Amino acid sequence: MIRFKDVSFTYGAKEGQLPIRAVDHLSFHVKKGSHVALLGRNGSGKSTIARLINGLLLPDEGSVLVDGMDTTDSLDIFEIRRICGMVFQNPDNQLIGTTVADDIAFGPCNLELSIDEVNSRVDEALRKAGLTELRDRAPHNLSGGQKQKLAIASVLAMEPECIILDEATSMLDPLSRQSVMELILELKEKSDISIVQITHHMEEAVLADYVYVISEGRITLEGTPAEVFDQFERVLAEGLSVPTHIEIARRIADATTAPYRPEDIFTFDGAVSFVRSVLSEYSSSDVPVDRLDTFDKSPSKSVESEDRRVDDDAHESDRECVVEISDLSFAYVSDAGDPVKALKDVSLSVYKGEILGILGHTGSGKSTLIQHINGILPSKKGTVVVLGRDLSDRKVVREIRRHVGLLFQYPEDQLFEETVALDIAFAPKQLNRTPEQVERAVLRAAKRLGVDSILHRSPFELSGGQRRRVAIAGVLAAEPDIIMMDEPAAGLDPAGRDDLFSDLMTLADEGATLLIVSHDMETMASLCDRILILYDGEIVGCGTPRDMTSSPEFLESVSLVLPTAKRFLNRFVDLFPNLDTNCYTAEEAADSLLRATAEECSAN
Amino acid sequence: MKARSMLGRSVPGTSLVHRLDARVKFLGAIVLMVVTLSARDVRILGFFLLWTIVIAIISQIKIKVIMRSIRPLLFIIIFATLLHLFTVEGHVLLRLGALKITREGLISGGLTALRLALMVVNTSMFLTLTTTPLAIADALESLLSPLAYLRFPVHEFAMMMSIALRFVPTLLDEADKIMKAQSSRGADYDTGGPLRRIRGLVSILVPLFISSFRRADDLAVAMEARCYRGGAARTRLHASKLKTIDIVFSFILLGLLLLVFVVQPHLPLLAFPGGLAS
Repeated sequence: MIRFKDVSFTYGAKEGQLPIRAVDHLSFHVKKGSHVALLGRNGSGKSTIARLINGLLLPDEGSVLVDGMDTTDSLDIFEIRRICGMVFQNPDNQLIGTTVADDIAFGPCNLELSIDEVNSRVDEALRKAGLTELRDRAPHNLSGGQKQKLAIASVLAMEPECIILDEATSMLDPLSRQSVMELILELKEKSDISIVQITHHMEEAVLADYVYVISEGRITLEGTPAEVFDQFERVLAEGLSVPTHIEIARRIADATTAPYRPEDIFTFDGAVSFVRSVLSEYSSSDVPVDRLDTFDKSPSKSVESEDRRVDDDAHESDRECVVEISDLSFAYVSDAGDPVKALKDVSLSVYKGEILGILGHTGSGKSTLIQHINGILPSKKGTVVVLGRDLSDRKVVREIRRHVGLLFQYPEDQLFEETVALDIAFAPKQLNRTPEQVERAVLRAAKRLGVDSILHRSPFELSGGQRRRVAIAGVLAAEPDIIMMDEPAAGLDPAGRDDLFSDLMTLADEGATLLIVSHDMETMASLCDRILILYDGEIVGCGTPRDMTSSPEFLESVSLVLPTAKRFLNRFVDLFPNLDTNCYTAEEAADSLLRATAEECSAN
Repeated sequence: MKARSMLGRSVPGTSLVHRLDARVKFLGAIVLMVVTLSARDVRILGFFLLWTIVIAIISQIKIKVIMRSIRPLLFIIIFATLLHLFTVEGHVLLRLGALKITREGLISGGLTALRLALMVVNTSMFLTLTTTPLAIADALESLLSPLAYLRFPVHEFAMMMSIALRFVPTLLDEADKIMKAQSSRGADYDTGGPLRRIRGLVSILVPLFISSFRRADDLAVAMEARCYRGGAARTRLHASKLKTIDIVFSFILLGLLLLVFVVQPHLPLLAFPGGLAS
């Protein structure tokens, strides 16, 4: 029903700017009732493609046909937009109505339907999206997931044949993302609506019927998800990632040269049973052990970090405590006028040089907690002592802020200066440093984040990922001893996220203390020395990643998920009693399995 | 947040006042503003005091909430009252240096305070407290619709108002977040000279403007994607018919106007010339 014929699109072609070719001779089609995923890095041209589909942008070359109608034909454009409903990335910027029902009615009203028809469509869409109870709420008072469901409902009310999701889940936490995806799959099942999903979340691409990988406006890889992810090295090279279970199975298959079919390892259970059959065959028969030896010798990250952790535990009493929170409680009044307890009797010690991950569901009090540590929120009940000084004295707060950097979610929103250099210099300037000191601090922070080559450009002409890095450099330039970050990688594609985290981890090597707030147990478990879990404003767990991920039931009860690699390895403990299951990446997990197999072989 | 409470918060309810058509309430608020300010006779002002109390009882809104609505204008009320107290000539009661308080000033100041307080309470009871901002915007669109004949873009104006209502809380949150973020970078909005403070303001306003423009841009695209093309042909969602109670209330309003502008000039004067709001 959607057909791109040799389509090209260039930004800035008319305004005399540097033209950027976003879509380059692209041809593809979407069949009626199918679910297609467009995968690609930030800035690969995915969103441009989405806007070309419903005529928000018009192609420079080639043609875009929807149900046989050309988007350049202005007579059909509103019909095309009705047929192809669109859900955008930012939940706040696409809701128009002042109430949920009004927002759903917006589209049907534009279609000039009768008032009775509008009302019945609103009811129908509310029901389909499961929002009936929120009918009269203001969009502002909804959660992120509810807002995106509302955006979907608003599209449904126009009775579309296709829904385009333009990174619609990328600003959501894992649980909301899951519930939005469930809604989408339910719609797909119950009607023959087509879905075009633009995403960099592999778990979503797996659900599609067909996948196109987009890079620099071209299709570089296509096929069924099983086919595409089978070429995991190419997918990784595109800056994307592969679902962990597929990657583990592929790494095992490569190491053992065992034959497999992509469809067999596509599901989690399929991958587990494939790896089980391969490895049990190896460990029971006399195989060429030397082939597996190579993995035994390769230094394993997980063993190393485990040593470091054990070491840390032993000296905990000697270590310098930089943040000491005792019995901290905090309550605020919600928009609806109800008192909300954001923190309940929280006590916590943070040690110098450690990386502490703070995890919990949305609204668990994570952000409230870190805002107390640099005194943005005053500690009314309980005490907060940072670097040996009590923050209840407001004069201390001003002093302590130069030692404690706080990075909010989407920090790029705080940029305001004319050039990148000036913006990064904002914090050191507030500290009354000499111009030479400021310059040195700016340069050092910019180098660390890899933005030293763009110091003289305006932050507003940069890409989202670069702006994020500039904003982080702006906090680091004050050279804080404690750095707190709220979801620093939110919205970045997999490679961008990995790059950013590896840059940030160098800070810890130099003795800075890092506090990272996140929803993502998988990444945090692999990066952090200690994990703190908050649930409804209370600390429900604090310890090493190993301890915090030992019970899947516990994690589920606090709305978190077990890292996939660990979940995968847990299925092998009966086979290899000595298996090290504390692995959080596919690479580590595959190594661990191969090592265990090699040990088993030599024991035989 | 302080700014949020200033927006006025409607108190949900099902009283007669709540159920009145927003257009009628809007006109009612204007009529009551005019008649309370034009009431010169003590007896008529007394009548309005009684009226306000009756409406307050009917509306079932707590006295505390109603009193809160006066607070933002308290300064103006006190100022106007003092002005009358000290400037009206007449029988001197008390002398404080160059200032003198007269009996006439006392009466006229008291009546001014009453008049202003009644005005504020009436408008907030009819509009902010019992009517949602959305209903007010719809009422305004409906009341302004005759202007469409004069090529005034009524629909666009109403859409603008409703979008503004939708985004005010979002932008307030955003401002709060940016302010916290800049404070974390060492910005200090409480101390320092005026230049430093203005500079501090820039670090909040620039990101706020930029994000508002981006939001506006996103929103425009989202509206277009949902087939918005402006114009009067759109379905009117909140078009509502006047009910009997709206018509009855309209006649009462007419009665109030008659009372003040037709009956008042013919009322026999009282013993003292009270309430000469000059």
